Amino acid sequence: MSSFRTPLGRVRFLGSARLGAEDNWRMHLTSLALIPLSIAFVVIVLTLLHKDYNAARAEMGEPLPAVLMLLFVLTGIYHAELGMRSVIVDYVHGHGREWALIANTCAAVALGIACVYAVLRIGFV
Amino acid sequence: MATTGTAPKPRPLSPHLDIYRFTLTMAMSIVHRITGVGLYVGVLLLAWFLLALSGDARSYGTFAAFIRSFIGQIVLFGFTWSLFHHMLGGVRHALWDAGIGLDDPLRERLAQATAIGGFGLAVVAWIIGYAVR
Repeated sequence: MSSFRTPLGRVRFLGSARLGAEDNWRMHLTSLALIPLSIAFVVIVLTLLHKDYNAARAEMGEPLPAVLMLLFVLTGIYHAELGMRSVIVDYVHGHGREWALIANTCAAVALGIACVYAVLRIGFV
Repeated sequence: MATTGTAPKPRPLSPHLDIYRFTLTMAMSIVHRITGVGLYVGVLLLAWFLLALSGDARSYGTFAAFIRSFIGQIVLFGFTWSLFHHMLGGVRHALWDAGIGLDDPLRERLAQATAIGGFGLAVVAWIIGYAVR
């Protein structure tokens, strides 16, 4: 006998966190929403493609493209954050994993805020 | 720990990637992940586009010059292809969740449809982009 720890003490916190179903559900929900939103995004980009700065900015600032872009960006980044999290958990081991998860969340929030700020500025300024 | 000095026998591992025969569904699984990570990075491009457009004509000009360059066009096509490939891959996963397409003939057809369809939709989007002004 080399350990004074109880069998229960050795296994506690090593199992499932019981939060996986929630992430799985959100992954499915966002992926479903992203089908129409991605198509809308491609259509918006196609309409802006050959416009100069003034025309493109005016078009992007219209309510419908702006709201669809905001929905696409926020849903897409949430979906990307969840997806990248499962990639990190699969391939990054040890303490690097925590840093990678922190970096993932920070990058997702930063990108999301930047995109939302930009769309609102186009619409209102 | 035992103090006999002999190294512990390595534990048997479950079979991993390198022992399996290469299959199309396996390749599609890997490509789904790669396109997903690619789209994550592609959000940087989207953020740049939106921030440049929210600025002045000069900031938008810098972005437009990049995206119209050879490298910019390749990156943008990669983003378009990744978006459609990943989207069709997601549809395939949704079908599997409904219990559809898990068996042999349909499974392979769906994998082929994802590969061809993703590329095809990207090409269609680009044809529209170049043709419609």
